[in-house]
This record gives sequence, structure tokens and C-alpha cells, in this order.
Amino acid sequence: MNKYVVLIQRSIREALRTPEALFPTIFIPLFFLVVNVGQAAEIFPSTSTPFLAGQNYAAFQLPSALLLAASFGTAALYLVEDIEGGYFDKLRAAPIPRTAIVFGRLAAEALKSAAIAIVMVLIALPFGIRIASGPLGFVLLILLTATWAVVFSGFMQLIALKTRSAAATNSAGLIFFPLLFLTPNFVPRPLLTRPMEIAATYNPVTYIMEGMRSLVLHDLEWPAIGRGFAVVAGAGALMVLFSVRSIRRYD
Amino acid sequence: MTYAIEAQQLVKHYTGRGGDVEAVRGVDLHVREGEVFGFLGPNGAGKSTTVRMLTTLMTITSGSARVAGVDVTADPEAARLRIGVALQEAGLDIRQSGRELVILQGRLYGLSPAQAAERANDLLKLVDLDGDADRRIKGYSGGMKRRLDLASALVHRPDVLFLDEPTTGLDPASRLTVWDELRRINDQGTTVFLTTQYLEEADQLCERLAIIDAGLIVAEGTPSELKADLRQRRGLTQEPTLDDVFLEATGRTRERAAGEVQEVHA
Ligand SMILES: Nc1ncnc2c1ncn2[C@@H]1O[C@H](COP(=O)(O)OP(=O)(O)OP(=O)(O)O)[C@@H](O)[C@H]1O
Ligand SMILES: [Mg+2]
Repeated sequence: MNKYVVLIQRSIREALRTPEALFPTIFIPLFFLVVNVGQAAEIFPSTSTPFLAGQNYAAFQLPSALLLAASFGTAALYLVEDIEGGYFDKLRAAPIPRTAIVFGRLAAEALKSAAIAIVMVLIALPFGIRIASGPLGFVLLILLTATWAVVFSGFMQLIALKTRSAAATNSAGLIFFPLLFLTPNFVPRPLLTRPMEIAATYNPVTYIMEGMRSLVLHDLEWPAIGRGFAVVAGAGALMVLFSVRSIRRYD
Repeated sequence: MTYAIEAQQLVKHYTGRGGDVEAVRGVDLHVREGEVFGFLGPNGAGKSTTVRMLTTLMTITSGSARVAGVDVTADPEAARLRIGVALQEAGLDIRQSGRELVILQGRLYGLSPAQAAERANDLLKLVDLDGDADRRIKGYSGGMKRRLDLASALVHRPDVLFLDEPTTGLDPASRLTVWDELRRINDQGTTVFLTTQYLEEADQLCERLAIIDAGLIVAEGTPSELKADLRQRRGLTQEPTLDDVFLEATGRTRERAAGEVQEVHA
């Protein structure tokens, strides 16, 4: 357990020492939030748009921004640097479970993502956004964001272990475009065109987004929240399975 | 007789994007406890591959190996506790300071924070990095990185220490420091398995050595045995050097090696 703690500390130290990599993960999603709201808020005034549940359009967009912030997969890029620089071999030569090398990073990713999500929500509050589900809802919102970040980074780490290439891992990260945009990003699912609605229905990220959105706009709606967490849990189970296999077979 | 390192018919066959290569083709090793053992061979002979197999970093295609009495395939975690390794390319995390890196390493081997800090202090002094210990590794020179890598391989006082070309890229003074340090570590009972391209180093440090060429061991013995053997077989009047032994064992004579050098015209 202590060994996990030192590996987590190291990953956090590394993130803090590379602010150039940390800041964009906060500011790019905020930038999208501002731009998207700036473009579409006039179409959706809070008084006459039922799906906003009385809040402004920024509240509707906040989950997309949180998801984007959680989908950078920086942990995997640090892992590739370890592999390329040989430090990964040093860790593999140490008497620690090999899975600790991979999961230690993910645990740090969870903490980091939770911190970023909290900062983003705090920044959003002065702009009139409310978390309608209350303090428990706020905690769940942060938790959902952080666990998704872990799952996404975990899949990216798999690519890193497989390819051992920064270029390949970086490119694989672009998968977040379809994942995040084939969703009810701008309007709820029933208002999407038919093809988009079908695509969004098959995209698991849709359910995470809807879960987060329900936490922002409504009181605790367990079915929507449950679907969000179920998707993260399912994807997370797959990710853990593949990661364990991949690190055991790493040669 | 118990051996610190015992390998039987080690084979490594690489497949994949790096090409299909039979890097190691049946290597037997018997390194005694407390010995400094030299592992020599030309570039690409299979030295690093052998080291990686013996240190649990790479799967063994066939054959078996025991290090410090532990089968590296059957119980890699137990083996890792007893092994220290500094690979050919120093594996460091450039965002940490030298001190942080060694402390982290100590913690991974089960030292308490206080023990790890104390050990790091000692080791950094030993490799002459105490003045730079709190700088980020990013700013270290190549030789400083090698010395730090060596220090980090020693945190847990391993029974068997593997060093893959530990003095490549070191200045003459640092090289002598590392030699002294290796002798000292060895005096305390640590077995040292050392690959090197410097035959003088092997001559100075190693009690016994093996020469590997194209994945097979082609000569083995103490430096003086190997020299005496060559002298006898060739009927030489003078004592040959270890260079001569190396060139002969790997099928390259001085004359041939010289003949292969061709001038390049612009
Ligand atoms: N990952 C790999 N994939 C394919 N072939 C490899 C790989 N690593 C090493 N080889 C091959 O295995 C052989 C032995 O390599 P190795 O690195 O063990 O040699 P070495 O004796 O350490 O050489 P050097 O003195 O240059 O360090 C070489 O022919 C090399 O091309
Ligand atoms: Mg080598």
C-alpha cells in the first residue's frame, strides 16, 4: 500500500511540475464552454426553454466542458515518456506488483481530475450556474467526472503500453472527438436529428453526459445518475482487465 | 556450490517490429557468490538481452535462470528484491531531483521515509552527487545520470548487482570512482555482473569473465587463464593482452580488424 502511495505522490509531483501540460486541461474546456454558450445561448433563453429547467444555457453546457477536461489522457503521455526514457524498466525491476505502476498513475489521475473538476465548477458558479441536486449531487458530479477521467486515461495507457510511442498515443487521444461530439452536446437527445440520435444512443459517453446534466439541472434523479455510473463502471472493468493483461505480458 | 547466477541454455528470440532476431542462442552461466563477473562481447552480441532476461525484465524464450537462488521466471518478485540493476540506458525520471529519485527507489524496496532519506544521503555522497542532489535530473550531464542510476541500483543492498556498461561515457576520474565503489560493494559480499566494452576494466575488476559473440559464449575463465591459454595455443613469446583474447575469441584478429578499416574519401 505504501508503495502505491509513493507512486501516486510521484505522479502528482510530475503533474504539478509540468504546469504547461496542466493548465490547458482547465482552460481549453472553459474556452469551449464560453464559445458554445456565446453562440447558442440566444437560441435557448432560460425562460422559454423547458430542457434548461430554469437555468441558463451555460448550466446545460457545463457537463460537456467537464467531460472534455476529463478526456485529455495526460497520464498516458507521461507513461510513454517513462517507457521511452527507460524509467518504466526501473520500476518494472522493483519488487512491486507491476499493476501498481499502471494503477498508481490512474489513482493520481483520479485526484487530479477531481481537483480540476472542482475548480471548473467553482469558476462556473459566479456565472449563475447552480448544481440543482445539492451538495450530494455536487460530490457525485465530481466523482463521475474523475472516474471517467480514470477510465479514459486507462484506455490511453493501454495504447501507450502497446505502441510505446508518444505519437501513437497522442493520436489515439483524438478518439475523444467522436466520443464527445456524437452526444446530445447542444440539445437533449429527443431534439437531435434522427441519425445523430441513433449515434448518440449507441455512444456510451451520452449516458455519462446525461447523468452529469441531470445532476446540474435537476434534483437527484437516480435512474439517469445510475446509467452514468454504470457506463463508467462497465468501461472501467474492461479497462482494468485489459490493463492487467497488458502489463503482465509486457516484454 | 551455490551460484549467485545460474543460467541454463538461455535463449531469446525477438519477434516483432524490431525484426526476427535470435539474440541469445543457448547461454550457460555459473557466477559464484561474491564474484565480480565480466560479460564481454562485440556490439549486438546479446549482452544487454542476457542482462534483461536475468533481471526479470524480459521473458526467456527457452532455458532457465536462477539469481540469488531464485528462479526468475517462477518467482520474479522474490528475485527482484535481491537484484539491483543499472541498464545500459540509464532509466531516470527527469522531472524529479536526484535525491527524490533515490528516496522513491528506497521506498519501493520497502524502506521507511526516514531510512530512505538517510540511504539516499549516503549513496549520493558515494557517487559524488551530493552537491547536485536537489537539482532536477533534467539538468544532469550524461555521466551524472549514469552515476545516479548506479546509486539508485544500490538502495536496497542487493545480493546480486547487474551493471550494463556502467562506465560508458564517464570521464576517467569518475570511472576510477566507480571502480573503487564496485570493489567496495563487492567486498561487502555483493556479487557483481558487469558488461563492458573496456577490456582494461574487465582485466582490473573481474575475477572471471565470459565472452559472448552472436548469442553464444565463445570463451570463459579468469583473465590470466584466458591469456595463458591464448599464449599457449598460438605459441606466443609475449603475454597477450585481454584485447588479443577478445579479438581472437570473436574471430577477429588485429590484422583483420585493421584491414577492415577503409579510408573514406569525400
Ligand atoms: N527489441 C528488439 N527487437 C529485435 N531485436 C533486438 C531487440 N533488442 C535487441 N535486438 C537484437 O538482439 C541482438 C542483441 O542485442 P543486445 O542489445 O543484447 O546486444 P549487446 O551485446 O548489448 O550490444 P551493445 O554492445 O551494442 O550494447 C542484436 O542483434 C539486436 O539487433
Ligand atoms: Mg548492450
